[in-house]
Amino acid sequence: MRFLLNKMIKDNLLIKGKKEKSEIFHRRFFIKNRKGDKIISIYWFSILFIVAAAIVYMVASFYGEPYDVREVEANILTNQITRCLTNAGYVSEGVFVGGFLSEGFKTNFRDNCHINFETEDVYGWKDTEQFYVELGFFDFNSDTELGKIVEGNINLKDGCLMNGKNSPSCIDRDFYVIDEENNQYKINVVSVVRKTEKNVQ
Amino acid sequence: MRSILKNKNKRANVLTENIIFIILNLVFLSILMLFVFSKTGGAAILEEKYSKQIALIIDSAEPVMAISLDMEDVVKTARDNGIGPNDAVSITDNIVTVKLRDKGSYSYSFFNDVNPTIKFDSRKGTYEIFIE
Repeated sequence: MRFLLNKMIKDNLLIKGKKEKSEIFHRRFFIKNRKGDKIISIYWFSILFIVAAAIVYMVASFYGEPYDVREVEANILTNQITRCLTNAGYVSEGVFVGGFLSEGFKTNFRDNCHINFETEDVYGWKDTEQFYVELGFFDFNSDTELGKIVEGNINLKDGCLMNGKNSPSCIDRDFYVIDEENNQYKINVVSVVRKTEKNVQ
Repeated sequence: MRSILKNKNKRANVLTENIIFIILNLVFLSILMLFVFSKTGGAAILEEKYSKQIALIIDSAEPVMAISLDMEDVVKTARDNGIGPNDAVSITDNIVTVKLRDKGSYSYSFFNDVNPTIKFDSRKGTYEIFIE
C-alpha cells in the first residue's frame, strides 16, 4: 500500500515537476520525521514521569501525614469538664462551698470528672503526661478569683504561646454559670493536648 | 522486489515500536495506580484512622451508652490478612488497639475514665461499643 502510495507521489511529482513538493514528499523528509517521532516519544515519557512524580508526591505527602485529632480531643476534654461542672445551667453540687471552690472537689477533680490522663507506653509518654487542664473560677461581677485547679503536665502550657504544628493543641474557653442562690460565676477552662508524635509528622 | 521487502520491514518496525510504547505506558500507569491504591486503602492507614476515631467516640461518650460502628473495610482487611474481626479491634484499660496486619498494629488512648467493651456483631456485621 505504502509502496503504491510512494509510487503515486513520485509519479505525480514527475508530472508536475515542482521542486517544493518533491522536497516535502521525498524519502528524506520521512526519515527526518521519524527522528522527530523519537524526540516526541522522549518528550512524552518525560511528561509522563513528571505527572507520575507529582501524583506520587501528593499521595505520599497526604497519606504519609498522620491524622491530627488533637484539636478535636482538646475540645472534647473541655466539653467533658464543662459537663462535669454544670448541671442544666446551674453549677454542679459540691463545686463551691461557702462561695469558694471546694477543696474536696479540687483534690478529687480527676475522679469527680472521670478523667484519666494515662497514655500508651510509647515515645516516653508514660513519664511525661500528654494532657494539661487549668480551671479558673471567678466571681462574675467582681472578677475575683475563687479558686483554681491545675492538672496534668504544666510544661505544656508554655507550648500554647508557640506557633507551629509541633506545638501542643490548646483550647481556651470561658462560660457563665449560676448556683441555686443565683450567684453568678465565670469559669475559664484551658485544655492542652500534646501527643505530637502520633499526630504530626 | 527489494523495495517491497524494505517497506514490509519498516511496517513491522513501526508496529513493534508502537506495541512496546503502549506496553510501557500500561506498565507505568499500573505501577502508579498500584502505588495510589496501596497508599489510600492500606491496613496501616485504616488502623490509625479507626483507632483514633474509636478513642474520640469513647471520649465523648457517657456511661450506659451503646454505640454501633459499621467498619466493613476493617472486617474485610482483617479477614484478608487472616485476622478475625473480634481480634482486629480491642480495648485494654484506656487504650484502643486496631490490628489488621500480622506485623504491626496502632494504638491510641482516650482520657474518658469509663469502662468500655467492644465486640463484633456477626449478624449485623458491625462493631458494638458498650460504655459502662
